[in-house]
Amino acid sequence: MRFQWKSSLLLIVAALCMAQESMVPPAVRRVGERLSCLCGVCKNTVGTCDMMGCHYTAPKREQIASMQAKGESDDAIVAAIVKEQGNQALSEPPQQGFNAMALLMPFVMIAIGLSAIYWFIQRNRRQPVTVDALHPEVLDRFHAAAEKEFEKLD
Amino acid sequence: MENLGALSILLGLCLAIYAVIGSLIGAWKQNAFLIKSAERAVIAVWGLVTLASGILVHAMITGDFRLVYVAQYSNLAMPTIYKFAAWWGGQAGSLLLWNFLLSCYALVVVLQNRNKHRQIMPYVTAVLMCTQVLFLVLICFAANPFEVLTVGKGITAVPDGKGLNPLLQYWTMVIHPPILYLGYVGFVVPFAFALGSLITRQPGDNWIHTTRRWAIVTWLFQTAGITLGAGWSYAVLGWGGYWVWDPVENASFLPWLTSTAFLHSVMMQEKKGMMKVWNMVLVSATFFLSIFGTFLTRSGIVSSVHAFAQSPVGPYFLTFLALGIVITTWLILDRLEFLKSETPLESVISRESSFLFNNLILLASCFAILWGTMFPVISEAVTGEKISVGAPFFNRVNIPIGLFLMFLTGVGPLIAWRRSTAESLKRAFLNSAIGGLLTIGVLMAFGMRHPYALMSFGLCMFVTLTISSEFYKGSRSISNKDGIGMFPAMIELTHRNTRRYGGYLIHMGVVLCFIGFSGAAFNLDLTQEIGEGQTMKIGRYILAMKNITMGENDNYVWRKAMVEATVDGKPYAIMEPEGRVYKAQNEPYHSVGIVRRLNEDLYINFANTSVDGKKAVIQAYVFPLVSWIWIGFWVMFAGTIVCLIPSKVRLEYARTQVVGMVEKNAIPVEK
Repeated sequence: MRFQWKSSLLLIVAALCMAQESMVPPAVRRVGERLSCLCGVCKNTVGTCDMMGCHYTAPKREQIASMQAKGESDDAIVAAIVKEQGNQALSEPPQQGFNAMALLMPFVMIAIGLSAIYWFIQRNRRQPVTVDALHPEVLDRFHAAAEKEFEKLD
Repeated sequence: MENLGALSILLGLCLAIYAVIGSLIGAWKQNAFLIKSAERAVIAVWGLVTLASGILVHAMITGDFRLVYVAQYSNLAMPTIYKFAAWWGGQAGSLLLWNFLLSCYALVVVLQNRNKHRQIMPYVTAVLMCTQVLFLVLICFAANPFEVLTVGKGITAVPDGKGLNPLLQYWTMVIHPPILYLGYVGFVVPFAFALGSLITRQPGDNWIHTTRRWAIVTWLFQTAGITLGAGWSYAVLGWGGYWVWDPVENASFLPWLTSTAFLHSVMMQEKKGMMKVWNMVLVSATFFLSIFGTFLTRSGIVSSVHAFAQSPVGPYFLTFLALGIVITTWLILDRLEFLKSETPLESVISRESSFLFNNLILLASCFAILWGTMFPVISEAVTGEKISVGAPFFNRVNIPIGLFLMFLTGVGPLIAWRRSTAESLKRAFLNSAIGGLLTIGVLMAFGMRHPYALMSFGLCMFVTLTISSEFYKGSRSISNKDGIGMFPAMIELTHRNTRRYGGYLIHMGVVLCFIGFSGAAFNLDLTQEIGEGQTMKIGRYILAMKNITMGENDNYVWRKAMVEATVDGKPYAIMEPEGRVYKAQNEPYHSVGIVRRLNEDLYINFANTSVDGKKAVIQAYVFPLVSWIWIGFWVMFAGTIVCLIPSKVRLEYARTQVVGMVEKNAIPVEK
C-alpha cells in the first residue's frame, strides 16, 4: 500500500513537472502582464501566474521569449497572441468599441457622483443671513450655554 | 435521520412562510396574537434549521455515506475538525449554514425586541423570514443536503467519501466561511429595520439607533471574513497572493464597501439629520449586494476558483433580487417626505462635505469592482465575444481611488462640522502634510521610484500624523487638567467618546493595511530546482537544501524539503515546505514555509520534484511589509470593539441652526 502511494505520488509529480523554471525574465513578465492566464483556474496574468507547469502560461512565456529573441515588439507579440486566442487573451478589455466602456464607466460614474454632490450642495446650501449685530445679552446667553456644555465634557 | 433532516427544512419553510404572512396580516389587522404567533414561528424555524444542521454535521462526522453530500465532501481519513468544516464545503451544506445563521439572527432580533419597537417588528419579522424563505426554498428544491444515493428504488452507500477539497483543509477555512457568512447574513437586520421604518413611516432615526450595533458587528464580521480569506489565500495557494480580484473575492468586498459608506454617512443623519434617503439606499444596497454576492458564488455565472459548481439556484436569486429591489425602490420613493433633511449644508469645506466625498469614493470603488466583475458577461452578451477582466484592470481603477480614499481618511475627521476656514485647515493639516511630503522625499532619496508606492507611503504618514495629533491634543488636555500621565489620559479620552476614537483606530488599521499593500510593489520571486547541498539566492537570502524526505498518513502522502535560509552567512531560519497528494481526491496541495517578519516575509513553496525525485522545485518569494496587512486587521478589530463600548460621556448632538452672522468687528447695536 505504502509503495503504491509513493509510486502514485511520483507519477503525479512527474506528470505535473513540465519544466525547470526559474525567475520570469523582466521582459517576458512585462509583456505577460498584458495577457490573461486562460488556464481556467487562476485569475492571474501570464506575467504573474505561479502555477507550476501551468498548461497555458508556460508555453505562452516560451512564445513571448522566442518572439522577443526575434526582435518583435511588445505590441506585435500581444497582437499575435490575441490573433490566436481572441480578445479574451488580454488581461484588460481592449480599449475599442463597446469594450472601451470597461475603463470609461467607473470614471463616468465618479463624474456623475461629483455632479450629484454639486447639485446636492447647491440645493441644500443655505446662504448665510446677515444681521446687523447680536444684542450683548443674546451673545452672553450663548456664551453661558457654551460654557455649560464645556463643563459637561470635563 | 436524513428523512428527519429533510422534514425539518420542509417544515421550516412552511413556518417561515407562515411567519411572513402572519406578521403582515397581524400588522394590517392590528392583531397582536397573530404577530406574536408569527414571532413564535421564527423561533420554531430556528429550532428546525438547527436540528437539520445538527443532523448533517452528525452525518459528516460519523461518515454516513448514504447521503450524496457526505459522500462528496467528507471521508473517513479526514481529521474531525475538517469533517465538521465539510458542512459548508459544498453548495447544499453552505446554503444550510446560511439558513442556520439567518435563523439565529432572526431569533436574536425577535427575542431582543419582544417588548420594543412593536410597531416595526411585524415588518422586521416579515423581511427576515422572506429572506429565510428564499434560502429554505433553495435547500428544499435546488440543493438539498439530505439527498441520498440510490440504485433503482433502493438507498445505497459508498464505502468512503471523496473528502473535502485539500485546499480547504486548512485551519482558517474552518472559521473563514462562517465568519464571512455572519457578515453577509447580518446585513439583513439593519435592512429589515430600515424597511420596517419606511413601511410604518417612522419620521425619526429610531431604526438607525436600533441597528447601529448590528451594522458595526456585521461590518466587523465581514472585515474579519475577508481578511481570513486573504490569509488563507496567502498561506495555501502557494504563491503568496492574498487578493487577485477574483469574482468571489469581489463579491465579498462589494457589501463591505457600501456598509463602510453607510457607517460613515449614518453619522450625518444622527448628528445633522441629513442624508436620510441616501442611508436608506446604502443599507438596501448593502443587503442586496450580499444576496448578489451569494448568487455570484453559486450560480456559475462567472468563473472563479472559489465558486461552487454551476447549479440551478440562479433564477431563485434573480427573482428575489428583482422583487426586493423594486419593492424597496418604490417604498423609498413613496416615503420621500419622511426622509427630508433637517439641516442645510452650510459650507463646501466642512465635515459634511467630506462625508459626501467619502461616500462617493467608496461607491465609485464599489461600482468599478462590480462593473469589472460583470463586464465579461455584459460584453459577451453585447458583442458575442469573450473577454477577460483581470487584476491589471482592477488595479488601474482602484489604486487611484484607494489613494484618494486614504487622503480623505486623513482629512475628513479633522475638518470641522458646519464650516472650516483656510486658517483652521492650515492649523490642522500643515504638520501632517509636511510629514507626508518629507516621507516621500526620504524614500525617493533612498532610491524608491514606484509612483503609487511613494504616494501611498506619503499618505500613510499624513494620516498617521493627523490621527496621532488628535490623540495627542486630547490626551495632553486631559493630562494637564487631571494631572495624570499621557497613557491613562489617552484611555480616558477614548472612553469619553468611543465612537470617535475607536473610529480613529479603525482608520489607523486601514493605514497599516495600505502599508502592507504598498509593499507588493517590491515583491521578489524565483523558481529553481535544487537538490541536497545546493543553494539558491533571492534578495538577501541564501536558501540551502538540507534534505528531502517523504512519508504518508491516512489522509495524504507528502514530500518535505528542509531548507536553511541564511542572511550574510548567518543562520536565519529553517523552513520545511511540504508537497502533499491527498489520497481520496488524488489532488496535490502545498504546505508552504513562511518566515514572517515586520519588514518582509520569506515564503517558500515546495512546488514540485524533478522526475528522478532527487531534486525539489522551490518557488521562493520575498514579500515586503505584508505582515502589516494582518496587523492592520487586528488594529481595525480593536477599533471596532472600542466603537461598541458605550461612551463615558453621553453625547447629544444638538441640531444647531444658524440664525444669523455678524461681521468680524461689528459693533453690537440695540434694536
